[in-house]
Amino acid sequence: MNDKTNSLGSADWEWEIKPGTSWWNISLAELYSFKDLLLQLTRKEFLGLYQQTLLGPFWALIRPLLTVITYVVVFNEVIGIPTEGVPPFLFNLIGITLWNLFSEIFMQTSNTFLQNVEIFSKVYFPRIIVALSTLWLQLILFGIQLLLLVAVYLFCYFTGLVDFNAGQGLLIFPVIVITAGIGFGGGLIFSVLTAKYRDLLSLMQLVIRLLMFICPVFYTMSLVPQKFQWLAQLNPLSTLFEYFRFAFLGIGSVNSIQLLYSFGFMVVIVLLGILIFNKMSDKLIDIL
Amino acid sequence: MSDIAIQAENISKLYRLGTIGSGSLRRDMQSWWERNALKKENPNQYIRGGKKVDNSEVIWALKNVDFEIKVGEALGIIGHNGAGKSTLLKILSRIVKPTEGIVRGRGSISSLLEVGTGFHSELTGRENIFISGHILGMKKSEISRKFDEIVDFAGVEAFIDTPVKRYSSGMYVRLAFAVAAHLEPDILIIDEVLAVGDAEFQKKCLGKMNEASSKSGRTIIFVSHNLQAISNLCSKALWLDKGNVCARGNAKTVVNQYLSTLQKQNWIKEFKTMTEAPGNDFIRVLYTELTPHFVDALSVVDIRTPLTVKFRFYNANDGILLAVGVHLFTISGECIFDVSHDPLLYKKGIIEGECHIPGDFLNDGSYYISLIFVEDSSKQLYYYEECLSFEVADFRENINWYGKWMGYVRPKFPVITRQTEIHE
Repeated sequence: MNDKTNSLGSADWEWEIKPGTSWWNISLAELYSFKDLLLQLTRKEFLGLYQQTLLGPFWALIRPLLTVITYVVVFNEVIGIPTEGVPPFLFNLIGITLWNLFSEIFMQTSNTFLQNVEIFSKVYFPRIIVALSTLWLQLILFGIQLLLLVAVYLFCYFTGLVDFNAGQGLLIFPVIVITAGIGFGGGLIFSVLTAKYRDLLSLMQLVIRLLMFICPVFYTMSLVPQKFQWLAQLNPLSTLFEYFRFAFLGIGSVNSIQLLYSFGFMVVIVLLGILIFNKMSDKLIDIL
Repeated sequence: MSDIAIQAENISKLYRLGTIGSGSLRRDMQSWWERNALKKENPNQYIRGGKKVDNSEVIWALKNVDFEIKVGEALGIIGHNGAGKSTLLKILSRIVKPTEGIVRGRGSISSLLEVGTGFHSELTGRENIFISGHILGMKKSEISRKFDEIVDFAGVEAFIDTPVKRYSSGMYVRLAFAVAAHLEPDILIIDEVLAVGDAEFQKKCLGKMNEASSKSGRTIIFVSHNLQAISNLCSKALWLDKGNVCARGNAKTVVNQYLSTLQKQNWIKEFKTMTEAPGNDFIRVLYTELTPHFVDALSVVDIRTPLTVKFRFYNANDGILLAVGVHLFTISGECIFDVSHDPLLYKKGIIEGECHIPGDFLNDGSYYISLIFVEDSSKQLYYYEECLSFEVADFRENINWYGKWMGYVRPKFPVITRQTEIHE
């Protein structure tokens, strides 16, 4: 809240509540003062996820494992999509790990308002804290999946199935940041939209399912016909999958212009997401 | 000036009635397209049946509300349901924005609009104390420091590592309130928390609030339907009605003003003609009235107030032995008393009567009176049910307890105690 003198011009108020919302009302100092809350919310969601389950956090591993097995059977054994000499299991695991990072962050963030109406209508704190705690939780879950990926990768490395290149390997970090950013920014925008229009929620689930086929998750960009290449490259996520695979396996077509494009896209969508989220969060409480 | 904690100027809040927007993207886009591209009227103004939705179908939940609270003051907010009390609290808590006006203040605010905000039913009591504490604005170190105190206040030591979904509802509420009760903001906003828990726990809560305002010098804003609690705990009160400020000032005065308008609803019934008057071929009741004899200048019927029931009726039969009985019932239908007199011989014509109910006799609550007309002390001529209804407000002095006083009646029989032995 702004410090302003009151109409009488004498007292200095510490805060004031006025109609209207600015696009940018986040102060980093205020956000930092809520860091305990952020961690606590993440902890709550993490613990809540696995209460009264048999396998607990192992579910974070079981889901991708089962998905990978299905993909290997369907896409590689039945349909016969080539994997450029890489073991199909590793090839698909790489794609799915990154895809899960994007889709989970996007889906969970876009639920921010709908899932927290109860709290939002009773207590004030910067609403974006909840979205940030979702992001943080998904990064932790991604971390668990990444450990699985590294384990499988190391197994393949020691059995001589793949090569390792440290320089390439470091590329995973910018790729993770950009992917998470695009998911987060998009999620913020959709969290506002789904709160206002509930019918978008089912549409969004469909779109995210279809989007996976457009992204090179279980195939490489080189398999895309020449005349559709430009279309595939327009998708800012495509390059990220190519780069992620390149970081581990050294295969695929990568170029830094594309990566810059993805990065720029991420910056724009994150800013846009934060602005819309801020602008709308007060209004949404009235209609939720 | 600097001793003012909150200053609200012209706070107004507008809500639209019915669904806001259409809730469907297709219809909103259609509306937008028709309005902006085709410059036509919004087709969705016409909802089912072709009826036009008037733009004036809006409601001012609050209209030009002004007030100030000094540091350390406790402000009670009263009013009917839908008067805008909760909206005001939500604005002060920064949950919703006002449509107009400005609130300024100094000091940290914690609001307690429900108990158990942010509780996760799958997690243990211990986890939930931390989660709820953080959501309500406590720091981690603060919660850790007060942890034992909170558990002790809630009385759930044995269950602290059990998921709260297995708690009894009482335990759940106690734990939730205990967390909130240990908040230490400069300004505390509380909505109807006293509606929860048993009498014993309510007592504890009110004690805690009293301590917060009187000893710790905390500013408190408090909404409650428990008017006794308001007039005893708060120094100032604000009475809202349909979004407007009806009265504000000294808590006891405002509460009494509020009560007296509540009460003057059904104190007199008079009928001009015989045919209008309720009754039958024997009796026509022309007039009934309840007259309170107020103790002080404040016109509120409380437990101290003596009441007189007056009635006038037409007797159609000449020369009968007639008696009138007054029945007093609680709102839930239990009869408190049935008083009458020895039958008297009356001629055809108008008869008047009255019954005096002493003060310090009825407990607080809602009551109604019925009149019975009996011939020869055996034959019922007419029974006039629920002819008058009234409410008796509570009144307490120097008592540190605000729960419901037990019993249908509350007479002032003396209770005498004496010490007969002293054991050192």
